[in-house]
Amino acid sequence: MTNTKHVLIIDDDADFVRAIGDLFASAGYEVASASNGREGLDLAKKLLPDLILLDVMMTERTEGFFTLQQIRAVPELAATPVIVASSIYTDQPLFKVNPDAGWLPASLFLPKPVDPARLIREAARLIAAAASPGATHEGDNAR
Amino acid sequence: MTDLPSPGRERRPGADPAATLAATGRVFVIDDDDIMLLSCRRILEKAGYRVETFSSGLDGIRRIEAVRPELLLVDLKMPELDGLQVIERVRSVDPDVVIAVITGYATISTAVDAMKAGAYDFLPKPFTPDELRLIVNRGHERWRLAMESRRLRREKEEAERRFITFVSHQLKSPLVAAKQYLDVLLFTSKGDMTPKTQEWLTRAQARLDEMLNLIHDWLELARIERGTPCEPGVASDLGEVVTEVVDAAGPQAEAAGVTLGAEIASEVGAVRGDRVSLGTIVSNLVGNAIKYNRVGGRVNVRIARDGQRAILEVSDTGIGIPEDSLPDLFREFYRVKSERTRDIPGTGLGLAICKRLVTDLGGAIEAHSRTDEGTTFVVRLPISAEAAPCDASAG
Repeated sequence: MTNTKHVLIIDDDADFVRAIGDLFASAGYEVASASNGREGLDLAKKLLPDLILLDVMMTERTEGFFTLQQIRAVPELAATPVIVASSIYTDQPLFKVNPDAGWLPASLFLPKPVDPARLIREAARLIAAAASPGATHEGDNAR
Repeated sequence: MTDLPSPGRERRPGADPAATLAATGRVFVIDDDDIMLLSCRRILEKAGYRVETFSSGLDGIRRIEAVRPELLLVDLKMPELDGLQVIERVRSVDPDVVIAVITGYATISTAVDAMKAGAYDFLPKPFTPDELRLIVNRGHERWRLAMESRRLRREKEEAERRFITFVSHQLKSPLVAAKQYLDVLLFTSKGDMTPKTQEWLTRAQARLDEMLNLIHDWLELARIERGTPCEPGVASDLGEVVTEVVDAAGPQAEAAGVTLGAEIASEVGAVRGDRVSLGTIVSNLVGNAIKYNRVGGRVNVRIARDGQRAILEVSDTGIGIPEDSLPDLFREFYRVKSERTRDIPGTGLGLAICKRLVTDLGGAIEAHSRTDEGTTFVVRLPISAEAAPCDASAG
């Protein structure tokens, strides 16, 4: 058993999945992907990944929101770091979403297109934080 | 006046005008004079209207609540409840009904009072059948136009909403996917590329950014135009907003070789506006000051208080703005065109957004500039004494 970290990408845009999948793979992650919320939830339950990257607006406009809530309802996934990526989210320093807000319990929000350096940095930080007790949900969008 | 246009006649060729009217042309008459009511009924029914008459204002109001007529004729002088009181009560139960007043003692002042209370027209007694039909037809047309314009306004708003959703998702998605490939490729495989490949991919990346920024700014402008994003009475701490924006702009300033500094007077406190709107104003100005600067230049952000206004000053030591461009600076899509701005990316919407937001918040913005020396933008915003802090992200 190696210490390889697993990341699950849930996004309906195949090109985005491919680019980001390649990025994670080049950073040493094992990558799995799903193109819709239901498939993503099933895969998450099966794989119990170390990190989930989720698009918030897929074919169904609210798919991402519900998927995230369903992920959180699974006890084994309740503390899994989830990064929500979306092109509806803009990278304004003042646009803060409370990560504990019930409607979107994500660990971090990133605008699409995602800055590769930032994604890799944040992924490592969130996985490390989740592994240690007293982990914080604060991302660097909550400076 | 013999050939009055019949209300509803202009619509649907071939349809019976009276039938069209019967579906919509409902007129109520309130008057304490039974003979008046009877003759009004006769004249208007002959013209194709459905008429209901009431000798008491209270009965009329009760019926209006139930059936919503298009038109109400009301006598100004009645015992019990007079016409002005009727108008006021009718307005509160049905803001759409078109009201015309009948007045036997036609004085300008009573007519003016009636109009102020929400009547559309008035008919002095005695009047001829033609005069009555004219008033009623005109009132009916007015009602029809009001309904039509409301419907069109709703359709327009709905179309705008759909279009904004379309733009923000459908139009952005392909750009995002294309840019994501380039971002990842340049991040993971830069070492394997020839200098030319690397340069071209970087340029393609920059052009995609340009398009994404344009969509972002355009959506921002559309959002602002649909209404002030934050409730009136909402306030935010300007010093905090400036600090956050300046912190966030640090990397951009560093990359441009520009020193970025802020002077925040502690007595400024809260100004009108939500954090996102204020942040957009400050970050647009700071972003410009960095972009249109020179290596080794400075950007200074200063806030101070001037009576009931907060003053935000963003000054740079950049290329400056030619005097003849200053009047156009805040126009949408306007960009100063010169040899030196040619390679600086920009959407031409940032300052239009600033101006719009500042104006919506009850403030003012102006620019002072000298070519080759720099530019200072001065924003004045109303201090908010009693307003509660706004967390625009809540909910």
